[in-house]
Amino acid sequence: MSVGHVARAIEESGTPTVVVMVRAFRHVAERMMLPRTVITRHPMGRPVGAAGDAERQASVIQAAMDVLDRAVEGGTIVELEPPFRPGSLD
Amino acid sequence: MSDTSPDPESFEAFRQSFSYGSRSNLDFKFLKSLPDDEAAAFIEVVLDRISDAYDTGDIEPILDAAYRAQIAGYTPAPGAPESPHTYDTAPFTPMSMPAAASTIGLITSSGHFVIGDDPRPFGVVEMTQAEAESRISEFLRETPVVSEIPADTPAEDLMVRHGGYDVASTIRDRNVTLPMDRLAEGVAAGVVGALTDTFFSFPGATSQGRLKRELPAWLDRFEREQADAFLLVPV
Repeated sequence: MSVGHVARAIEESGTPTVVVMVRAFRHVAERMMLPRTVITRHPMGRPVGAAGDAERQASVIQAAMDVLDRAVEGGTIVELEPPFRPGSLD
Repeated sequence: MSDTSPDPESFEAFRQSFSYGSRSNLDFKFLKSLPDDEAAAFIEVVLDRISDAYDTGDIEPILDAAYRAQIAGYTPAPGAPESPHTYDTAPFTPMSMPAAASTIGLITSSGHFVIGDDPRPFGVVEMTQAEAESRISEFLRETPVVSEIPADTPAEDLMVRHGGYDVASTIRDRNVTLPMDRLAEGVAAGVVGALTDTFFSFPGATSQGRLKRELPAWLDRFEREQADAFLLVPV
């Protein structure tokens, strides 16, 4: 919710935004009508990917940039399909 | 002979104890919001899947059960009162150029800050994560402080404190909630044009009204970064 207010304010001031959040908070993106949202099927507290899962984290960043490029209206929500997976901290 | 044994703990009290109670576990605080039957079914499924994992070694079904229960715990029930933070329209500013040619800023509600720049909530010096969790109700009434994080800050110079989520994963790897390294790699890979000099983080468990009153001053600070777009990551 806090980030939702920040995203709306930045967007209203004239700078595009994209929010990456976990599936459990999808209802927040919907009711706050956020400009652009990428939903990850990850548990709370791990929105970008598991610790040590650089590959997943990079794919989430790529998806967020894609949404910035492709969204044509506010309220755009893209839910990524891959489920959460543990990373490697080696 | 009198019976001095304590009253047995109810299942409701048991599941609620995971939310800032005697069994506090911020990954499972959603159990407080699940009805008894759904919480019981979740525990039963997890135990069954652990039994399977003894043989298969596959923990993904266990993680999936937790993921689904978490969604059920956080999603408002049908007929629940509408949140005051509900809007009918979405603001929208088009990108002026592709992300691959844009300067991207990063703002998270993860609660990261640079060592030596502790926001000192309530005036407390070096507040521990445990104290932040124990004072969550005070944080939810407090004015948030946004911390500036230079984009080239080494991981060992960062700390994180947030009373609303389990910070263990992002302590192990900051990119879990503060994807600084992945953004830098994105620049090298041509996914992102450039990054702002400074990123921002604040603890998102805060007073929403006070946050909104802080936003004009925050926007001034964000605008100084001259970002073409911002990536925001709530926890």
